[in-house]
Amino acid sequence: MIRNYIKTAIRSLSKNKGFTAINVLGLSLGLAACLLIVFYVSDELGYDTYNKNIDNIYRVNTDVRFGGNEASYAVAPAPTAAALKTDFPEIEQAARFRVKGGFKVKKGNQNIQEDMMVYADPNIFDVFTLPMIYGNKANALKEPHTVVITERTAEKYFNSTNVVGRTLTFDDNTPYKVTGVIKNIPHQSHFNFDFFVAMPGLDESKEDMWFSNNFQTYILLKKGADADKLNAKLSSFMRHRAGPQLQSILHLTFDDFEKGGNYYRLNLTPLKKIHLYSNKLSEIDANGNIRYVYIFSAIAIFILLIACVNFMNLSTARSTNRAREVGVRKVLGSPRKYLIAQFLTESVIVTLAAAVIGLVMAWLFLAHFNQIAGKELTVTPQILGWLVPVLFAMVIIIGALAGSYPALFLSGFNPIEVLKGKLAAGFKGGRLRSFLVVFQFAISIFLIIGTLVIYNQLKYIQNRDLGYNRDHILLVKNVSTLGSSSQVFKQEIKQLTGVQNATLTSALPTGGFQSSTSFFKSPVPDQKNGILPQRWPIDADYIPTMGMKIISGRNFSDQMPTDSNSVIINETAARMLAFSNPVGAKMYEPEDNKMTRLKEYHIIGVVKDFNFKSLRENITPMFLMLEPNDGTLSIRFRSANIPALLAQVKNKWAQLSPNQEINYSFMDKDFDSIYRAEQRVGSIFMIFTTLAIIIACLGLFGLAAYATEQRTKEIGIRKVLGASLSTIIGMLSADFVKLVIIAICIASPVAWWAMNKWLQDFAYRANIQWWIVALAGAGAILIAFITISFQSIKAALANPVKSLRSE
Amino acid sequence: MIKITELQKYYRTEEVETIALNKLSIEVKEGEFVAIMGPSGCGKSTLLNILGLLDDPDGGSYLFNNIEVADFNERKRADLRKHNIGFVFQSFNLIDELTVFENVELPLIYTGVPSSERVGRVEKVLDKMQIMHRRNHYPQQLSGGQQQRVAVARAVVNNPKLILADEPTGNLDSSNGNEVMELLTDLNEQGTTIIMVTHSEHDARYSHRIIRLLDGQTVMENIMI
Repeated sequence: MIRNYIKTAIRSLSKNKGFTAINVLGLSLGLAACLLIVFYVSDELGYDTYNKNIDNIYRVNTDVRFGGNEASYAVAPAPTAAALKTDFPEIEQAARFRVKGGFKVKKGNQNIQEDMMVYADPNIFDVFTLPMIYGNKANALKEPHTVVITERTAEKYFNSTNVVGRTLTFDDNTPYKVTGVIKNIPHQSHFNFDFFVAMPGLDESKEDMWFSNNFQTYILLKKGADADKLNAKLSSFMRHRAGPQLQSILHLTFDDFEKGGNYYRLNLTPLKKIHLYSNKLSEIDANGNIRYVYIFSAIAIFILLIACVNFMNLSTARSTNRAREVGVRKVLGSPRKYLIAQFLTESVIVTLAAAVIGLVMAWLFLAHFNQIAGKELTVTPQILGWLVPVLFAMVIIIGALAGSYPALFLSGFNPIEVLKGKLAAGFKGGRLRSFLVVFQFAISIFLIIGTLVIYNQLKYIQNRDLGYNRDHILLVKNVSTLGSSSQVFKQEIKQLTGVQNATLTSALPTGGFQSSTSFFKSPVPDQKNGILPQRWPIDADYIPTMGMKIISGRNFSDQMPTDSNSVIINETAARMLAFSNPVGAKMYEPEDNKMTRLKEYHIIGVVKDFNFKSLRENITPMFLMLEPNDGTLSIRFRSANIPALLAQVKNKWAQLSPNQEINYSFMDKDFDSIYRAEQRVGSIFMIFTTLAIIIACLGLFGLAAYATEQRTKEIGIRKVLGASLSTIIGMLSADFVKLVIIAICIASPVAWWAMNKWLQDFAYRANIQWWIVALAGAGAILIAFITISFQSIKAALANPVKSLRSE
Repeated sequence: MIKITELQKYYRTEEVETIALNKLSIEVKEGEFVAIMGPSGCGKSTLLNILGLLDDPDGGSYLFNNIEVADFNERKRADLRKHNIGFVFQSFNLIDELTVFENVELPLIYTGVPSSERVGRVEKVLDKMQIMHRRNHYPQQLSGGQQQRVAVARAVVNNPKLILADEPTGNLDSSNGNEVMELLTDLNEQGTTIIMVTHSEHDARYSHRIIRLLDGQTVMENIMI
């Protein structure tokens, strides 16, 4: 019996090659898209799962509200880890990271800049599962100036992995002893360091400072401990631990501090939620976003649904051609269940073929997809281990789902009517088919609107006046490695023809430089007159080089010795401080952590607000100080000949630092990288939208073919009676275009609502304009019309005599 | 073998009720060859469908081998049908995706005949219909007469007691038509009961008896022998 099913199925499929091709192609495209998204989503969901204790590891965060600012940090004060361990017996381990940027590491006589570096507590290996291949993890990081490196780093510097006891030279002069080599960290990790430097070598780590948050702090709970209960106890912990310091600094009790509308508290993020749910300040790396996991999963399901709908629609549309066969089989005594089984076999065979092709397609596209999605997805035997059974289950489910309607529909035919050819008349009704076409196009239009909104927002970001000019700025990084020559370097660059100006500081609007301190309006610290602004060290060339505008007062000047006691604030700070005339007003900054001495600053200017964070966030108060910082040299150039300029800059660099490679970038590129996540989402959205539309159109193409075939005789008669080409095309297209218009009406409000939610993430956004919806709608109609035209023009041009005779 | 009494069948649309069979009573004995004739719309095909258990009557009685089948459900009807009745259609109704052999084999599959036995039986009947040499061809590759011979082969492969033929020569030229009529006559002579709907007086002459219908009622019976 089953052999008979398969035989009939294969012959029927190969007889209708066009139909089969559309079905298989549509389904395999759908499956390929779906598979890529499944890879992506499973990768996103698999972060940090390499840790054996993932369920018991939590990160300690700090939430602060002070001086009108509210912020949530992924870091905690230095003493938190040890104090938590002392106070709460349910904590088995507490360990810290301190990210301090990179070092130059010597290899031969060459210095290599290494950024994947972190200071780590010795017990970090008890919290995270980082298997040590060489060395003793119990005391690897106990001594200052020791370092644990990854396998690949060991290979890179020593061409060997067994390198415990050997030495690496950091920053040209400090030797660090390698005390351990760990396995490379899986890429699905919220941190990916290559160098773990011993924390005991960092003085800052031993300070008892409760109002400075710099340490990524992780706790490992004992089995069975309740994290929620611990979370609840953390507020009294903070009150008890940080209260005394608050008293001595602000002369306030913790209660009074909180009564003033401020807070300072700790909370816990489970390790398994860091990658997808956490987006705080001072995250180690940019995390993923659960929302995109949901969005992409939904898109995958949608695309698959569109492909399945094609299958159902084409199969039922084709039913008139199959109807006779069903009738004959029924007359010959076939029970209905045999027929259902036969059609299901056919649809499972198509799905199976599509799955195989889809798998190959996904595999071929993977490299390209990785590039777009910024991922390193690979098809490994482990993946195939679960993928093949899942795919097989999907084939059965999709085959059954897509085949069920045709199977039930076709097998339900009344044999007498079928054999008399009565059924053809009943074909047009297909209300379900119309519904399915509307459904497909509604999804496609939703995706088109989504894509347009994302691109519109990205364009808005590109074109928005940010308060500074990011074009024509070359950034030379790690200038501090030049030491005392950094100023020389700056002056020499400024002399180059084609260079307009240059400024030396690592505090860049595109750089993610973060440094905030409290300032007070009076010499007696009081929370009511406090403000917590960003505090950036700049030089006198900074504002002109960046193209920022002073809106009142003046810029710093090297000629004014008092400017080291001056500050330039941004508009937002001026507004929050509520001075009638900020220029000339005084601000006080604590000089030590106990706030016993305060330094007085004069406000000499107000700079127009400029965006120094992502446009997702509002502009916060900013204080610019005239202080030396030689991290990066920003060079504003007017030269069109960038290669020549670069050559000159490289030349100067090489003269001052022959052993160190120059590290440079362009500010506009750095700016774009801030929005890389959105760019990626935009690209992925666009790809899958295109796919969805192609699949939907494939289906529409097939449906139009059958609809025209059904109406061949009608078209013939109309032509004989004198209908013009355009009337016939119009008549044939109208039915489908009507459905697309209904789809637009359904999809537009839903898309408008959903995309507005997405835009809420941006403090600065381009609202959805009517033309986006109009464009999406018009586009969908046009695409549908063109698709149908292939069929309708062919039918309309056909010789009517032929079509009449064929009946 | 077949006895219908006061059989009724209506077709309803929203406004009109058409009477297809109006208290029709007919009896057909085992081994008979009966032709049913009448103008278009007189209820011939409706009658044939009810006799073939493809359709159910709205009233009256239908005894098939002395069993009342008028109130049989779909499953029971299908079961009775596949074991006892063979069909021959005007438009052959062969399945295009199956070869001659496979088309003829189909009824045997549905009645659960084991595959080893099927081959012999199909070959025997193909031989009898003189289309053995075409066994691996597809229907489209055959002439109309050959296709109808395959259809007849398929109708008889299960050795049904009754063959219902709906204008079996309607799509054939006269020589092919005659061949098919000869086949049916042979089958009848070997004991199969045949009921045939036809427009052709020529074909009707092959039968033993002609029943003429008008507006769902018997108007005349001609005994040919």
